[in-house]
Amino acid sequence: MKRRDFLSAAAVATLARGATDFAPKAKRVIYLFQSGAPSQLETFDYKPALERMRGVELPDSVRQGQRLTGMTATQTSFPLVPSQFAFKQRGQSGAWVSDLMPHIAKVADRLCFIKSLHTEAINHDPAVTFFQTGFQLAGRPSIGSWISYGLGSENKDLPAFVVMISQGTGNIADQPLYDRLWGSGFLPTRYQGVKFRSQGDPVLFLKNPEGVTAATRRSYLDDLAKLNTFKLNETGDPEIATRIAQYEMAFRMQTSVPELTDLSKEPDHVFARYGPESRTPGSYAANCLLARRLAERGVRFIQLFHRGWDQHNHLPAQIVNQCRDVDQPTAGLIEDLAERGLLEDTLVVWGGEFGRTVYCQGKMTADDYGRDHHPRCFTVFMAGGGVKPGFSFGETDDFSYNIVKDPVHVHDLHATILHQLGVDHTKLTFKFQGRHFRLTDVHGNVVRSVLA
Amino acid sequence: MRLVFFFAYAASLAAQPIEFNRDIRPILSDRCWTCHGSDAAAKGIRLRLDQPEPVAAARQLIAERIATPNKAKRMPPVHTGAGLSASEIATLNRWVEAGAPWQKHWAYLPPQRAAGQSIDLLVRARLAKEGLSPAPEASRETLLRRASLDLTGLPALPGEYDGMSYEQAVDRMLTTARYAERMTAKWLDAARYADSNGYQTDGERQMWRWRDWVLNAFRSNKPFDQFVIEQMAGDLLPNATLDQKIATGFQRNHRGNGEGGIVPEEYLAEYAADRVETMSTVFLGSTIGCARCHNHKYDPFAQKEFYQLYAYFHNIGERGRYFKFGNTPPFIYAPTEPQQTKLAEIEARLAAAEARLRPGTATGPLTWKPTLDLTAPEKYTPHYTARFTIATRFTPAAATTNIVSKALPEAESAGLRFEMKDGRLQVNLVMRWLDDALRVETERVLTPGQNYHLAFTYDGSKLAAGIKVYIDGKPEKLRVLVDELNQDFLVKEPFTLNAPEVKIFSRALPPLEVAFLAGTANGPEAGRRQFLETTEAKAWAEVVQIRRERETFLDNVPTVMVMQETGKPLDAHVLIRGAYDRPGDKVSPGVPAIFGTKPITNRLDLARWLVSRENPLTARVTVNRFWQSLFGVGLVKTAEDFGAQGEWPSNPELLDWLAVEFMDSGWDVRHLLKTIVLSQTYRQSSQVSPELLARDPENRLLARGPRFRLDAGAVRDQALYLSGLLVERVGGPAVKPYQPAGLWKELSGGADYVPDSGEALYRRSLYTFWKRTSPPPTMANFDAAGRETCTVRESRTNTPLQALNLMNDVTFLEAARHLAEKIMAHPAGLAYGFRLVTGRAATADELTVLLNALERHRATYEKDELAARNLLAHGDSRRNTELSVADLAAHTLVASLLLNLDEGITKE
Repeated sequence: MKRRDFLSAAAVATLARGATDFAPKAKRVIYLFQSGAPSQLETFDYKPALERMRGVELPDSVRQGQRLTGMTATQTSFPLVPSQFAFKQRGQSGAWVSDLMPHIAKVADRLCFIKSLHTEAINHDPAVTFFQTGFQLAGRPSIGSWISYGLGSENKDLPAFVVMISQGTGNIADQPLYDRLWGSGFLPTRYQGVKFRSQGDPVLFLKNPEGVTAATRRSYLDDLAKLNTFKLNETGDPEIATRIAQYEMAFRMQTSVPELTDLSKEPDHVFARYGPESRTPGSYAANCLLARRLAERGVRFIQLFHRGWDQHNHLPAQIVNQCRDVDQPTAGLIEDLAERGLLEDTLVVWGGEFGRTVYCQGKMTADDYGRDHHPRCFTVFMAGGGVKPGFSFGETDDFSYNIVKDPVHVHDLHATILHQLGVDHTKLTFKFQGRHFRLTDVHGNVVRSVLA
Repeated sequence: MRLVFFFAYAASLAAQPIEFNRDIRPILSDRCWTCHGSDAAAKGIRLRLDQPEPVAAARQLIAERIATPNKAKRMPPVHTGAGLSASEIATLNRWVEAGAPWQKHWAYLPPQRAAGQSIDLLVRARLAKEGLSPAPEASRETLLRRASLDLTGLPALPGEYDGMSYEQAVDRMLTTARYAERMTAKWLDAARYADSNGYQTDGERQMWRWRDWVLNAFRSNKPFDQFVIEQMAGDLLPNATLDQKIATGFQRNHRGNGEGGIVPEEYLAEYAADRVETMSTVFLGSTIGCARCHNHKYDPFAQKEFYQLYAYFHNIGERGRYFKFGNTPPFIYAPTEPQQTKLAEIEARLAAAEARLRPGTATGPLTWKPTLDLTAPEKYTPHYTARFTIATRFTPAAATTNIVSKALPEAESAGLRFEMKDGRLQVNLVMRWLDDALRVETERVLTPGQNYHLAFTYDGSKLAAGIKVYIDGKPEKLRVLVDELNQDFLVKEPFTLNAPEVKIFSRALPPLEVAFLAGTANGPEAGRRQFLETTEAKAWAEVVQIRRERETFLDNVPTVMVMQETGKPLDAHVLIRGAYDRPGDKVSPGVPAIFGTKPITNRLDLARWLVSRENPLTARVTVNRFWQSLFGVGLVKTAEDFGAQGEWPSNPELLDWLAVEFMDSGWDVRHLLKTIVLSQTYRQSSQVSPELLARDPENRLLARGPRFRLDAGAVRDQALYLSGLLVERVGGPAVKPYQPAGLWKELSGGADYVPDSGEALYRRSLYTFWKRTSPPPTMANFDAAGRETCTVRESRTNTPLQALNLMNDVTFLEAARHLAEKIMAHPAGLAYGFRLVTGRAATADELTVLLNALERHRATYEKDELAARNLLAHGDSRRNTELSVADLAAHTLVASLLLNLDEGITKE
């Protein structure tokens, strides 16, 4: 077998499933995960009736005996607490957005709100894991790794699935994240998300060590390729050809990643669009700007995690900060993508792992209250990528406690995201432990009503 | 190429008679049983295709429906995407025509072997069928390196086994501590071992004494059946030893959720289910976990049977909400051997000192003062793992009043409160009032205006049972209000004392001493008290001092979570759809009916059954896993699934031969490994022709030796070892080698990883601290199992991140520098370095590349001494300053090249 054959064999071996099931509407996803669970009541799910019911006990007819978390299950009282922040209708579409999100309000006509998301988990770890992998317990592949496995990368110099993390200013001692959230589960590890970091190397071990220049590294890699090729010719093991190719990709990443993460050539008006924090490495705003750059380069699944949304107490004070973190950068990203013609084939998703309770957790005062976890309804919005702009789907009751119209389960959202990428969620499977596993388990329906 | 192989394989099958288990069962299972299997009734489907009788009766129908051109009638239904290929239809037709003969699934038949067989005969018989012949034996140096990497996890050094036969070399490898470390490292993946709890905050836990137990087991070649029994049920063995109890830590290695607000019952169910699933995967190679929510779709496991297994494992009195930090009950003190000696010595001294105390008759004034009273109690900071006592005299003015507190000013907020509520005495140690606190109150109601001596003690256990409350020196009956303390109740507020005379002790006083304090000790105790005050105060002080010494000593003794039956009946309920809050029928413990109907009533019997001849699976599954570790792929490729959806064994006779050999040898692991590595099959050269590669890319037929990349731990361990950095010390707590800064902090905002220094940087990787939500990055890059759940299948990928890791990580740069120093000190120079890393001599071409590289780098570094110095500064260890900086830097880079060679990180 000739060398060339070896290389092509290796290339086949490293390819993912690599095909869509039908024409995609989106080529990539930017998923802005709001970790800790943002309150729908203070942001997008406007409930004017609550204002007259402040302090009234949550009616049993609304709660319907549903389970609560261990944090409030033993509370003796469940007083209703309305949002302290005003809502207005925005844009042509008239979407209700609170004053906490003035920039997002301005792009409301580009957004597709789903007010009726619901999930099964009631605590952070299982709930975030469920959102990321379709299962509450550890061990399954994350959505990004499924997509990386299913569609591969559009850019041979960058990973298909990139993750970035930021810490919010709302709750600074907030919920942790876990590597499993972008892990590949039982899929081969090459499909796992690669974390781009703001501290140290943007990708672990990316930089040549002090004392090794790029030129030295190049000559080193040439030597390595020579030696490995001797061995390849002797043993005939195609893994060696793959290894040679991986070292070359590593070398290319050493150029492509720093070029990507270097924001110094972005003009001032771009920073202005994403807000003042966008000049601070590691901030949500800077990560949004990086997300656009990753999208431009064809990275398939870009996921931001912004921590700090777990407002059990002191919600009003905390959520002001937390919303300020994300408002302008999120809107800026959407506008920036639109201006560059990227929004039409980039699906942007914004949301957390569950919602928050309409009743107060802990002490309620004139200007302070808290909210516990609420899996039964919450709001997620999407933009671009073939979803309806200026549209709102699903409704909750007057308490934002129960869904009264068009429920959307996490599996449905997953099915919809895959659908926009041209993937039939029932066909993207991987056999493990004797089962053909998929992201949506045995569930999930594409939410066709939100598709443009 | 895979396709080519598949067709060749399929073509070779066509010539053979149909064998149900090999040819038919996989098709039925994968395409039919999802609907027509054991769970058919749940879908309202009557025709069962997983049983011989209905299939025989429906032969005609089957033949028609799989081949009909009518899409609406065709099976499997078009919409399922599970359609049959033409060759599959042909195979099914041949089978139906032959009368649809049936076999019990192979894995549930006991393994048997014919006399006079061996590994090599069985492999060659298979090769002969394929028209292939075995490869020649690998060179001695290749073979020694291969065996050493496989058996010890470290390569053979040049000359290490000179003068020994291959067999003698293998014998020596099998008796080293390194062998035990290698075997242990593999077992840790199966046992989902970690140093953290795995959910949310992912706090540290302490299970390394269990790891030590595994090391000792492999080191002493404990028979594998015993190895299984002790881990499954060591606590239930008659007169169980400390070691046998520690062994059961295997079943507590699963993750534990300490997140505030979880519903404890939900996680109690998870833990027991995890134990069932781990046992099923590791010993039975069965996916019984699939039957947790419904009957298994493919294998003969009813949902009820899952919960019969569950019943063995859910009765240890554990908490659903684990502690965020540290071990969660039940756990035991697990002193190391030196600690056991020391503890025995302390206890002997304590017994002697106590013996010196005799009730006496001395008289005199009441001048006794409790020992070790705090001189400045207001500066004392009680916390949730500390022992302490608070005592006072108090006359309540009202039924609800504070007595002593160190807490935030708001009601029901964080801190410590010793208070009265509605006449009852309460101790509130609170992080969050409702769900993160220890809160107890007395049943007895105090009367306002009356004077009492009040005290409580706390033993630092984070449990309500660790609080005792005394009124006038007598222990009170308590009601537990909340027993869920998971975080410290520390606050900055000072003590608030609402009582005149408050005493605070930094230990939990025993009842007698509280009674002394209250002045209520009477009877013989009062006599002793008077005695103590005068003549034997010194003896008493000694007792107190030794007791405290013992407590302090125990504080530093490791604990380990274990299995410990509560003694209640083992019954459990089926959980409908697997939901913790939907209990269904009650079930008693038992193994699935497919394994027989003998009653197996408790966990110990279950353990014994696992390794009995009545169980067809444990031996097969175990030899397959060892085979996988040596050959890269198991004889059953799906090491975790021997069921209908698993893969047919590539050589069933060989699998059974090994299983029987293993059992007949008394489950002797060393014997098994030695038998395999001495076989000619193992000793073959791994070179492969393009034709053979095309025919058998994964080497399932074994017409050549194994060649694959080292696992994550071995990649690092080898680099440390070859460079001379490896610190070989067996066992002990986890260590923290280098890791890029910020990895823990960026996930949690909490404390970051703090690397150790000195020798701890250079221990073998099985000792590296394993934080489940942020595993060591090099381990993760090189495909190590995540340790969140049991993992038995080995996986290997080939990625750019691995390349970056090997080239740029300080671990490998420092190793390269030390390897460079060794190369420079050796007369053969680079040729020696090459030999060290690959186990063989370099060819002339290879040496030329290396020498040219060295020259080039030397020229670079001679021109740029700063760069050279920088390159040599990586790592905590110092460079040899007697060597030329440029020369050492150039050698370091070439040494790094060697450590990055494909061959260097590959077993061949």
